Amino acid sequence: MSKRIVKFRVNGEEVELAVEPHWTLLEALREELDLTGTKEGCSEGVCGSCTVLVDGAPVRACLTLALEVEGREILTVEGLGGPDGLDPLQRAFIERGAVQCGFCTSGMLMAAKGLLLENPNPSQEDIKRALAGNICRCTGYIKIIEAVEEAASLSPTPIHESR
Amino acid sequence: MRLPRFDYLEPHTLEEALEMRSEAGEKGEVLAGGTDLLVRMKQRLKKPSFLITLKHLRELEGVKMEEGELAIGAKTSLRDVIRSPWVQRYANGLAEALSSVGAYTIQHVRGTIGGNLCQDTRCLYYNQSAFWRSGRAPCHKAGGKICYAREGSDRCRSTNQSDGATALLALDARVTLRSLRGERTIPVSDLFTMKGEAPLDIRSDEILTTIRIPIASQSAASAYERISYRSAIDFPVACAAVLIEAEDKTIRRARIAVGAMGNAPLLMIQAAELLQGKPLEDEGVRKRAARIAMDHASAFAVNNVGATVEWRVSMVEVLVRRALRRACEAARGIGEGP
Repeated sequence: MSKRIVKFRVNGEEVELAVEPHWTLLEALREELDLTGTKEGCSEGVCGSCTVLVDGAPVRACLTLALEVEGREILTVEGLGGPDGLDPLQRAFIERGAVQCGFCTSGMLMAAKGLLLENPNPSQEDIKRALAGNICRCTGYIKIIEAVEEAASLSPTPIHESR
Repeated sequence: MRLPRFDYLEPHTLEEALEMRSEAGEKGEVLAGGTDLLVRMKQRLKKPSFLITLKHLRELEGVKMEEGELAIGAKTSLRDVIRSPWVQRYANGLAEALSSVGAYTIQHVRGTIGGNLCQDTRCLYYNQSAFWRSGRAPCHKAGGKICYAREGSDRCRSTNQSDGATALLALDARVTLRSLRGERTIPVSDLFTMKGEAPLDIRSDEILTTIRIPIASQSAASAYERISYRSAIDFPVACAAVLIEAEDKTIRRARIAVGAMGNAPLLMIQAAELLQGKPLEDEGVRKRAARIAMDHASAFAVNNVGATVEWRVSMVEVLVRRALRRACEAARGIGEGP
């Protein structure tokens, strides 16, 4: 049981890491790559705060082994937006006050990003369904849903171009 | 929460995977999406020495039509099953059941239909952290001799809460299991041992490869209903799936499965037989069938998944009635043509 080499892309950059088989993607991102924007909440797939995109689709980084994402493209909250500023989703979250304590926010952003990549014009029902796996204990969700709606209306075309 | 250590085995072909599985035996577990297994490992409910990943085995993915049946690769993601036009057309009950699993961002992308079907049984007194469990003597499922869910029970009463398994039982699905010794295809009902301690009849050298759903007839319809605390994330505390085959506005054959009640989803044979030969719009007979299903389910359920057992049992009648109504309406719609 020794370390193994895994290669994948994170936020557009090629990454090569030596990982233990039992390390999750979440541990690799936070502890090896210092990408601490992705949060560990429940650690058992319930709360959604560790959500990242793997090949554009939202997954739980706490329930995904680092070795399972070999060759895949990972997008974390650090990769939202770019040199030109914030992603419209991030801007809308700030403007709408969709952030209180902030712990769930990166997971919410990534789940919402996954939705908008797939469906740039979601209905409110679509947004609720896409965020149903993300728990927020502060906001009551309304402002979050409004923020996603606003971001969708701002950018009818896919928002993010990976660097 | 950290995972325990294990060796990660990475087969590139099914044959290779079967060899590894045979060699690892009881010490190995198959890793598909991991949304159930990894949680159990974090809670130290499972401590495999070897994880055999299916990540390279594309041959276990996809929905195909083969000789009058839907053949679904065990590693097909819930999302891909739900989105399959064939599944939506011929096994709508399964699409409904899988749509209700957990939440989109948890299970639908990484979770697989095989994993959903093979998920272990659950109990409020068992599916807890190692620390929580350390406070008392181990239960039957953990290797002890006590049941915390039902006082004095001489066996494990843990509950199968799989949405997919309940729907697949109603749809009369079969499953194919492969090993180096060969291949066997069994009705999904035979996959379940009805023993909470070891609820699945999958030998330690076998891998589930295919789930087969017969296309009952052109005028068949299925539906799924469930109740859970929250509409997302949570497991059902009661659920029901039904299949209705109709001819000339009459029910030719019905199957009713009730889940989240016993060690396995329950096939309600007597309730389904009552419906045979009755008109599709006969609401009274649907009510009577639902009541029988509820009575039979009451013999299996114990108080171990949240919500009182009395309430969960009473909800069986409601869920079966709703599912039957929707399936009968859908079957009538198909019978009338476009």
